[in-house]
Amino acid sequence: MNEFIEQFLLEARELIAQGTGDLLVLERSADDQSKIDSVFRAFHTLKGAAGIVEFEPMARALHAAESVLSDFRTSDELISPAIIDQCLSCLDQVTRWLDVMQATGEAPADAGPAADAIVQSFALPKGPAPNSDAALPAGDWLAELRGRRPDAWSEAQTALRYVPDADAFFKGEDPLARVEKLPDLTGVELAMREPLQAFGAINPFTCSIEITALSGADTETIKQMLSDLGNGVEVIAIDSPRRSNSASELSALARSILDAQVLLLRESEEAGLAGRIMAAGRVSMNVLRRTGLFAAASAVETALGGVLASQADAIIGIIEDALLEEPSQLSPAQAQAEQARLPLAIAARVLRVDTARIDELVNLTGELTVVKNALGHLAALAQGGLDQDAITAGLRQRHAQLDRLVGEVQRAVLRIRVLPMRQTFERFPRLVREIAAGVGKPVTFDIEGDETEADKAIVESLFEPLLHVLRNAVDHGIENPQRRAASGKPPAGAIVLRASRHLDTVIVEVADDGAGVDTARVREVAATRAIRPPEALATMGDGEIIDLIFAPGFSTATQVTGLSGRGVGMDAVRNSVERLGGRVAIESRPGQGTTIRLTLPFTVMMTRVMTIEAAGQVFGLPLDMVVETAIIPRDQIVPIGRATAFAWRDKTVPLVHLAETLGLAGEKDQSRAARVVITSFQGQFGALEVDRLGERMDVMLKPMDGLLGRLTGVSGTTLLGDGRVLIVLDVQELFS
Amino acid sequence: MTGAKAKRILIVDDAALVRAYYRQALESAGYSIDEALNGLEALEKVLLHSFDLLIVDVNMPQMDGMTFLRALRQKELPLSSIPVLVTSSEAGPQDMVAARAAGANYYSIKPLKQEALTELVGMLCGATA
Repeated sequence: MNEFIEQFLLEARELIAQGTGDLLVLERSADDQSKIDSVFRAFHTLKGAAGIVEFEPMARALHAAESVLSDFRTSDELISPAIIDQCLSCLDQVTRWLDVMQATGEAPADAGPAADAIVQSFALPKGPAPNSDAALPAGDWLAELRGRRPDAWSEAQTALRYVPDADAFFKGEDPLARVEKLPDLTGVELAMREPLQAFGAINPFTCSIEITALSGADTETIKQMLSDLGNGVEVIAIDSPRRSNSASELSALARSILDAQVLLLRESEEAGLAGRIMAAGRVSMNVLRRTGLFAAASAVETALGGVLASQADAIIGIIEDALLEEPSQLSPAQAQAEQARLPLAIAARVLRVDTARIDELVNLTGELTVVKNALGHLAALAQGGLDQDAITAGLRQRHAQLDRLVGEVQRAVLRIRVLPMRQTFERFPRLVREIAAGVGKPVTFDIEGDETEADKAIVESLFEPLLHVLRNAVDHGIENPQRRAASGKPPAGAIVLRASRHLDTVIVEVADDGAGVDTARVREVAATRAIRPPEALATMGDGEIIDLIFAPGFSTATQVTGLSGRGVGMDAVRNSVERLGGRVAIESRPGQGTTIRLTLPFTVMMTRVMTIEAAGQVFGLPLDMVVETAIIPRDQIVPIGRATAFAWRDKTVPLVHLAETLGLAGEKDQSRAARVVITSFQGQFGALEVDRLGERMDVMLKPMDGLLGRLTGVSGTTLLGDGRVLIVLDVQELFS
Repeated sequence: MTGAKAKRILIVDDAALVRAYYRQALESAGYSIDEALNGLEALEKVLLHSFDLLIVDVNMPQMDGMTFLRALRQKELPLSSIPVLVTSSEAGPQDMVAARAAGANYYSIKPLKQEALTELVGMLCGATA
C-alpha cells in the first residue's frame, strides 16, 4: 500500500489547507452552513485517507473532530471559537505527522498518545451528559467493539449494546445476567456510562453501566429475546467481510453476503422495491455460482422470472436452503501474516502536474525522436557519399526542426514548473491569525489573486520574505485598537495579500490600512544607528527616508515583541527578493496604510531576449518587455525637460539614448531617423534608441552578483554561443 | 470462462486517493474500472454505460451515496438492479442500516485490504474465481 503514501501526503496537505481555510472563515461567520459542510467533508476525507494508508491514530484523532463537526451540521447551535481552536490544533498535529511520513515514508509509530490527547480534547466540552432514558446517543460503540474484539467480531452475526435504566437495580433487574443468558456469545464487555466521578460522588445504587456484546446467533433471535427492554437496547446485524483470505473463511464471506441479501429482500419500503429485489437476486446468484452452488443459482434465476411479489420470498427460501446445506466451515480466526512493509524512498519535493502538460512533453519527445532518426539517416547518406549541398540542406532542415522542438520542450518544461501562488499563500491566514492574536490586535486578512502563477522556485521561496512582511504589517503597520478608534477606523486592521501578473513579472503586494510609516521615527532611528550621516539625512525627502527601512541593520521595533523584532529587518526581505531576481518597493500613505510591493520575475529559467547594439556593444532586452520596434523621424522627437520623447499611437513615450545612458563613448547617430525599441513595464512605455536591432534568442539569465550586483540598469548576464557575455538590460531601471 | 476481465465496476467516491486505491487493487485483478466523483456523476454514468457493480461512498458533495442509491433503485429495470456495495468510513450502525434501507446489497467499512476487496467484489459481481 506504500505507493499511496506519496499521493496521500499530497492530498492530505490539500485537505488540511482547505479545512484550515474553512475554519478561519467560520471563525468570522460561524453561521456559514456551507463552510461547516465543507470543513466536515475535509476532516471526513482526511480520515478516509488515513485509513487507506493504515494510519490508525490519525484516523482516530480526525474521527473525534469529525464527530463534533457533524453535530454542528445538523443542529442550530453555532460552532464556537473553542471548537475551531481544537480543530485547528488537530490539523496542526496531523501536519506534524505528515512531516514525519514525508521524511521517513512511514506513519509515525508513536502517534498514539497524541491522538488520544486530541480525542480527549474533543470529548471534554460536549456539554451535559446525555440522559440515559432518552434515545441512545449515536455512538461509535460498534466501531470500538470491533476494534477491541476483532476475534469475537469475526465469529459474530449480531452486536448489541444495552444501557440499563438508572433505577434498574431498584426494579430488581440484573442487566448483566440478562445479556449472559443470550445464545452463542462470543464477547461481552462492561463499561461505565460516564467518566468515573470522585469516589464520594458515586451513588452505589444507581446503575450507570453499559454492556456491549457480540453473539453468533442471528439478529432476529436476539432482538426477540430482548424485546421487553425497549429503546435501552440496540441490536445490530453484522455483515462485515472477514479480513482474511484463508479458504475456510471465504464461505463465511459468502454467507455474510447472502445474509445481507435476505435482509435486503425483507425491506418493505415500496419505492425501489423492484430494483432491490432484482439486485438482491443478481447478487445472490453471483455468490451461489461463485461458491459452486449452481443448482441454487439457477433456482434464483428462475424465481427472478416470476411475479414480483413472490420473487422475494422465493429467493429467501432458496438462499436459506443453500445456507443450510452448505455446512459451516468457520474455523478459529487465523493469525494474519503482517504484510512485509516495503520501504519506499519518498521524493521530498513532489510537484503536482496537470496531465495535459505531461502529455504535451510526451508528444514532443516523440517528435524529437523522429528528428534524431532523421539525423542518423543523414549521417548514413553522408557516409555513402551524398553531395555536400544535399547534406547541408538536410542538416539545415533538421536544425530548424530541432530548434522549434527544443523551444517547445523548454516552454513545456517551464509550464510544468509553474505553480499558483496559492501553494504559498494558503499558509498565511493561519499564521496571520496567530501573529495578530500574539500582539492582541484584531486583524482581518484577505488574499487576492492566489491563482496567479509563477515559477515553482519563486512561489516556494516567497514564504519567508512574505511572512516577514506580514509580521511587520501586523506588528508595526496596524495601530492598536485605541489609536484606530481615535482616527475613526474600524477596530480590526485590514491586511490584504495580493498577487497579479504583468507581462513577465509577478507583483505580490501586502497592503495594510494602518498608520503608514512614521517618517520622523525612521529619521530618528536612522540617525541613532548611523544608517546614514546626519547631514545626508537632513537633506533626504520622506520618500528616501522610508526606503531606509530596507537598509541593513534598521529596525523600528522599540521593543522586541517576539515577532518582528528578531534582528532581521526589511533588509533580509530585500535580499531574498533580489536573490530571486525581484525588487521590493514600499509605498506609505500617512494615516491610511502601507503597501510593500515585491516585483518578481515570472520565471527564473529561460528568458527570451532580443539583442540590440549600442556603441558597438551587444546587449539583450527581455523580449516580454519589448512591445514594438520602430523608426522615428528625428523631427518628431521633442525635448521634454532634460529628456526626449515622441508621440506613438496617441501616447507620449519617453526616449533615452542607450549608449549615452550607459555612459558609453560612441559617435552620436545623426541620421534623419532614430531606430527605437519601445518597451513596456508595469503599464508604462519607454523607448530606447539603439544603433542596430539583432536577433531573438532564449537565454538562461544569471543575476549579477558580487561587485556587479550594484550595477543599475542590468538585470543579468548570459553566455552566448560564441563565448561572449551578453548583458541583459533592466528596462525599468533604465527609465527611473 | 468469463473472468473478472469482462466485469465493469464504477467507483463512486469524492476522494481521489480512495478511487486510486480501488482502481489499482481491482484493475490488477482484471476488472475494468470507471470513476465518478459524486452521486450525480454516477447517475449520469450508469445511464450511459452498463456496470456489473457499483462501489459507492456515503459522504460526498452534491449528491451523497444514499440519495444516489435510492434514486437508482427507483429507475426502470434492469438499470435499477445493478449490485451496489456501499463503503463508508463510518462503522456506526446508522449507516449500515440506512444503506440497506436505501437498497445496498452489501455494506463494508473502508478501507478494505486488497484481498478482502477483490474477494468481496468477485462475489458481488459474479466473476468466476
